[in-house]
Amino acid sequence: MVIFGFGFFLAFLKRYEFSSTGFNLLIVVLGVQCSMLIDLIFHLPYKNVLDRVAEATVSVTAVVISAGTVLGKTNPVQLILMTVVEMIVFRTSRWINSTFLQVPGKISVMHAPLFGAYFGLAISSRFSEPSPRSEKNASTPKSDLLSMLGTLFLWVFWPSFNSILVANHNERAICNTYFTLAASTVTAFALSALTTKDGRFRMTHIRSAALAGGVAVAYTAQSIKYPWIAMILGQLASVITVLGSYCLQRCLNPAFKIHDASGVHFTFGLPSVLGAFVQEVLFIVNNGTNSPRLVYAVVVHIAAFCLTISVALIVGFITGSILSLKLFKTIPVSKYFDDQFYWEFPHLAVGF
Amino acid sequence: MPSALDTNMRFKFSILALLLEVIIIVIFGIFVEYELHADIQTLYPLFQDVHVMIFIGFGFLMTFLKKYGFSSVGINMLIAALGLQWGTLMQGFWHMEGGKIHVSIKSMINADFSTATALISFGAVLGKTSPVQMLILTVLEITIFACNEHLVTRVFEATDVGGSMTIHAFGAYFGLAVTLVLHRPGLKNKHQNEESTYHTDIFAMIGTLFLWLFWPSFNSAIVPETPSMITAIINTYFSLAACTVVTFALSSLVDQRGKFNMVLIQNATLAGGVAMGTCADLPIHCFAAMCIGSIAGIISVLGFCFLTPLLASKLNIHDTCGVHNLHGLPGVLGGITGIVVTAIRTDTGPGSRFTPSMQAAALGSTIGIALAGGVLTGGILKLPFLGHTSDQNCFDDSVYWEVRHNLPLFSLGWKMYSTLQSCSLEVFVVCTQVSAFKNVAVPQAVNVSKPPSGSFLDMLASHAIYIRLTLNKKQKQTKQIETSVEVSASSSPF
Repeated sequence: MVIFGFGFFLAFLKRYEFSSTGFNLLIVVLGVQCSMLIDLIFHLPYKNVLDRVAEATVSVTAVVISAGTVLGKTNPVQLILMTVVEMIVFRTSRWINSTFLQVPGKISVMHAPLFGAYFGLAISSRFSEPSPRSEKNASTPKSDLLSMLGTLFLWVFWPSFNSILVANHNERAICNTYFTLAASTVTAFALSALTTKDGRFRMTHIRSAALAGGVAVAYTAQSIKYPWIAMILGQLASVITVLGSYCLQRCLNPAFKIHDASGVHFTFGLPSVLGAFVQEVLFIVNNGTNSPRLVYAVVVHIAAFCLTISVALIVGFITGSILSLKLFKTIPVSKYFDDQFYWEFPHLAVGF
Repeated sequence: MPSALDTNMRFKFSILALLLEVIIIVIFGIFVEYELHADIQTLYPLFQDVHVMIFIGFGFLMTFLKKYGFSSVGINMLIAALGLQWGTLMQGFWHMEGGKIHVSIKSMINADFSTATALISFGAVLGKTSPVQMLILTVLEITIFACNEHLVTRVFEATDVGGSMTIHAFGAYFGLAVTLVLHRPGLKNKHQNEESTYHTDIFAMIGTLFLWLFWPSFNSAIVPETPSMITAIINTYFSLAACTVVTFALSSLVDQRGKFNMVLIQNATLAGGVAMGTCADLPIHCFAAMCIGSIAGIISVLGFCFLTPLLASKLNIHDTCGVHNLHGLPGVLGGITGIVVTAIRTDTGPGSRFTPSMQAAALGSTIGIALAGGVLTGGILKLPFLGHTSDQNCFDDSVYWEVRHNLPLFSLGWKMYSTLQSCSLEVFVVCTQVSAFKNVAVPQAVNVSKPPSGSFLDMLASHAIYIRLTLNKKQKQTKQIETSVEVSASSSPF
């Protein structure tokens, strides 16, 4: 579990550049403490501390993911506020899920990527778009390599991520995630070559699609019985992600004025929708006999799912509106994606 | 820019990759099922370490080429992801029970091991193959590897826990044979992209450190009993430490001015781990482990300095990453120490099961099969429709990846000089002045898009952008370029 914590940490630490890494550290630390605090205040189920930290860290992914959507567009004050609000809301949404809908707590934590992605999208719709000509909103080969390092860390430790909260089917969750990730990576390369103009790979595709498998399998990691199901799921996730990045950037984002700085929607949002869907399908296939209870269970799952998304969207929208008030000194559009705004450089001649 | 004709792999690659994936899934559907134990507490951390080594360690170790970082890490990930699925199947076929392959954490570790061979071979051919070729190489090599491993561990019953022979020596000699068959006479003189820069060396060092850290896990991951597992960890640990010290010493010794050579530090420091692979779990003393590590370091450094140039010039084997010195020679050393140790200590411990003759047979068969398999695979890869690049496009990411070209300022000047002969004089002057500042780490200041506020480096960068934009529009703007140069010349503080 400690290994998990470190691996996960490093992953997001190295993910982007100066601000991204620095603020990510800030968010994660703050988020974990915040989540622990909420747990303590509400005297939620008694577990040992390490379990609780693990759970808190998993929920912090939600915040980190939403931070990904507004990357480069917020100042630290806004981020801190966002962290606190999001942790509270996510905890509440989980609480609603577990009290009214009787969803086991472990499943509801797995809603984290879903929640984070849509929360972040809703927030980012409240921020103005960067000018399309801006060259800062681009990557260099060096920063791409660094973010690949982050991706690889995530990739390598994703089996732990999916299995950490599952006590009894631990090994199965690990194996499933492992095969899903492998399948989704191979598919990602194939599709990336297929969708770009002259058959080259695009780094963004590889990064997001390779992870998509892990996200998608999160719900079902413990229940899939054969590896081939997991692998097909991985392929599907990868397909959705690459197609998503292909279509969404063109059609959806301009329509809703969303600017998704690091492709969170198709990396985490869509695959987790897929994952939830597949969970239902598998659930129905596995328990095909006793129908009344089955229908009830499926309805509960879907309700929990919808609830999470809608809470995320609504609260995200509100938070976004609050955050973009003048009070917080929102960054002007021209200063987006600029490290120099917040960080001291040893000398000005820093390349980025 | 590289021509799109011979390297466009839009359909070739994607269809082949999807096809392989579908085939694998179908085979998985037929044969594979889970077999779940409770051994997760001990094995899973080890698995994770090996996993990190394969994906991050090997991937970043190969990023040292200045324009080939994407491919090194990306294709490494592709090979490993495909290889682990294929490896699960191939190794599983040798251990089938009741017509089913049983998958557990242990088989996942083994699958990761099998991908390591393909990655090592990738190091030997790095920069000279296309992704399509790598897919085929991965599938073939892992198939052959699984057969050889079965031969070594089941038929000969030799010991090779850390895979000195079966993984490292096999992968290295396989890769060397492939690169011999794929020999490019055009690359006899050093290719201009086949060198490292300061930053790429640091990236490569990330890989080295991860490999170094987790090597004890690699050597001990499949040791069955706990006491020998601890022996394996300790032996590898000391061997690596000794090897590192020796490498630093020798690196300074072989350089004429006594400076360290980053290539040696990146690679030869790991040789100790490779050489420990065979006898890691045998009852040897710490000092023996340290001796093995030191010898491995010595032969690795000497290999880099003397053998690699010799191989390249005399035998037409062009070994990009020097895998022969990192994996090949130390792997053979590991095999030999295995023979020696089993010959000396026939009495005690788990070593008593193994005989020197069988160890020797294992070593011989591994190298033989690797060379033969490599030549065969190389022959298949030579088929013309696999997206071979031209010699000129080797070691270049932009052939297979979408790369944003942010030209460093100083090379910008060079570019313009070579493309627009007529009007280039002023441009070149400005840029040479900038290039005097290249220690000041401006390289990618081209990113700044608007006229900046003050600092003079920013200002230079904005001019550079202007120049670059006009350059993109090609020939007719000769005049515009001249004007922009005038602007920069008049406002520059030089």
